[in-house]
Amino acid sequence: MKETAFLQSEPGARVESTSDLSELSISERSIRMPVLFFFGSGVFWLVIASIFYLLSSAQIHVPTAWWTFPGIPWLSFGRSHPVFLNCYVYGWATCSGIGTGIWLLSRFSAPPLRSPWFLIIAGVLWNIGMTTGVLSILAGSTTGRELLEFPPETAFILFLGLAMVSLWAVTIILNRKPGTTYVSQWYLLGAFLWFAWLYATANFALGFAPVPGAAQPAINWWYVGGLVDLWLTPIALATAYYLIPKLVGRPIYSYRLALLGFWGLALFGGWTGMTHLIGGPLPAWMITASIVAKVLMLIPVLAVGANFHLTMKGHFGGLRDNHGLRFIVTGTVIYTAYAFAGSIISTRSIAQFTQFTFVTVIQNQLGLFGFYSMILFGAVYYIVPRLLKREWLFHKLIEAHFWLLVVGLGLLLLDLTIGGLIQGFGLEDPQVPMIAVNDLLEPFLAIQNFTALLLVAANLGFAMAFTLILLISTPARQRRVAIEQSNEASENTEAEVSVA
Amino acid sequence: MNKINGLFFGVFFLFGISWLGLVAYPYLTFAGLRQSKDDATGALAPQGNPGTATQGARVYAANGCFYCHSQYIRGEDEGNDIARKWGTRRTVPRDYMFDQQVFLGTSRLGADLSNVGVRQTDPQWFYRILYNPHTMSHQVSMPAYRWLFETREIQGQPSADAVKLEGVIAPPSGYEVVPTADGKALVQYLLSLKKNYPLPEAPEATE
Repeated sequence: MKETAFLQSEPGARVESTSDLSELSISERSIRMPVLFFFGSGVFWLVIASIFYLLSSAQIHVPTAWWTFPGIPWLSFGRSHPVFLNCYVYGWATCSGIGTGIWLLSRFSAPPLRSPWFLIIAGVLWNIGMTTGVLSILAGSTTGRELLEFPPETAFILFLGLAMVSLWAVTIILNRKPGTTYVSQWYLLGAFLWFAWLYATANFALGFAPVPGAAQPAINWWYVGGLVDLWLTPIALATAYYLIPKLVGRPIYSYRLALLGFWGLALFGGWTGMTHLIGGPLPAWMITASIVAKVLMLIPVLAVGANFHLTMKGHFGGLRDNHGLRFIVTGTVIYTAYAFAGSIISTRSIAQFTQFTFVTVIQNQLGLFGFYSMILFGAVYYIVPRLLKREWLFHKLIEAHFWLLVVGLGLLLLDLTIGGLIQGFGLEDPQVPMIAVNDLLEPFLAIQNFTALLLVAANLGFAMAFTLILLISTPARQRRVAIEQSNEASENTEAEVSVA
Repeated sequence: MNKINGLFFGVFFLFGISWLGLVAYPYLTFAGLRQSKDDATGALAPQGNPGTATQGARVYAANGCFYCHSQYIRGEDEGNDIARKWGTRRTVPRDYMFDQQVFLGTSRLGADLSNVGVRQTDPQWFYRILYNPHTMSHQVSMPAYRWLFETREIQGQPSADAVKLEGVIAPPSGYEVVPTADGKALVQYLLSLKKNYPLPEAPEATE
């Protein structure tokens, strides 16, 4: 068999046996509440983000229509847009990411704490910070810096919650079983340390001891680049590196490709942010360094993509039957496409036409809605039934979630790419007045409203499925099936390549 | 244990380089920028911002103007900002040295505002567009910022800064629409946006 041959040819690689992980049932109980709490928070903020997404996309299309609430300051585009983005990134993406991270880390080693309260308090702090932050933006009290809009006091509460989670993560990695580290562990260790460092630095240098002048946008976009490439990306990749091998029942194809992917990300990830400021008032070397990093980022991206593809090879049939796998594999495919698009639009000659347009917007949204969220939706679909020992109630609802997301995102990609290119060529032609550029954009903004409806419907379907599984205990017969399935899954624990 | 130490070290070290380059470097060096002195006239550039403009920058932030309007001019080799007459030279770090809040922005759904105070010098122009942007075109994505104004009964003489409005949006007779303190501060800020003084590191574009 191919797997066996691979394992023999790779002396450093060892397959984890079932018995090692089965003794972790105690740890699973102690992390059940924190994981569900973070997932629940994520789903709540996803619903809030969806409402504001719909509102803000309608507002740039028809700002005078009564149903976009013209004249109400706290519901105007300048506030609904940052509320949507902050709720999506710090509410949904970060909470679901922390929940998945906790669950993954507890699979590899016994938690340092028997009590779930430490992590739950961290989650409560995070939600307090989110709530006060969102209310601050709505009230017009904002720092005016993208993805750092929350006032410093709020950022401090969020940092406390984050620091607690990161401390827990580092402790649990140090308490791992001797001699073993997993690919997912590398990414998770990096993610939790990098995010805490990024968040503390950005809020200190911009909020508590603000530096005036052009250093502000430099630090702001260093932070946003890191947030995407060194927090969201490694969380999603850690999830995929654990769940893909587990769900197809074979180890990761290549340890060396995994190494290349991880260290490439660690090396280039902190440098990508200045590509948002090409032509901006910064020393040329800072911007050039970012463009180079963004292009070189294709090396780890291709390594990761190839590794997933070769692991999946011959097992793509599993996508039909397994919800979690379908979401996760789709997410990894979008990752490659999204990263390619990101590198292309970061080169100077192309950025000239795309930089200030919807092309940049859709590239970011492809990463957020497509790559990251797809993988995290898959993780929630996989993890929650195992924590609750219940089955998802309506499989049609999950199917609908998947297809609404795929169709909505596909249409949005087409729509905003074409619209954004027209906008970009218009802006770069001095003969075309600004008003004419916006006239050309109008039909594309109309279609964006329609695709926003699809995406919001997808998110609400997911929220409904999540609420139902929390509230309704599955009948006994189905529960037995569920337990059988979860046993079957744990037979396949020879999932991930572990490294001695 | 060596493996995990190497992992910790690599994670810190590789990220630390970007932290030094993109955070510590601009944080320390940009704070040391000095005004440029014109050899002939002795004029200093750039000048500091008036206090009302700093107040207005907060209103600019609170209402999210920077989500659609950028505030920087790319050089001639990097884009057509100068050909579009948004500025006569590229912007450089020194242009922003006195700004408590810098709004470079990443979207141009609206026009670039680096030099809007050069293009428009009449506060009335700003009041009218903020009160009702749709006088210019029905497709404009810009919302109307009515909460930066109040409609009140005229007491004696009409106010000097009452907004001149015509047609359906005009206030009833005996009433006037005047900007609030926030509205005035925002317009003072927009009027202060001028990057048209000479700097040696950014020569005027030659056409």
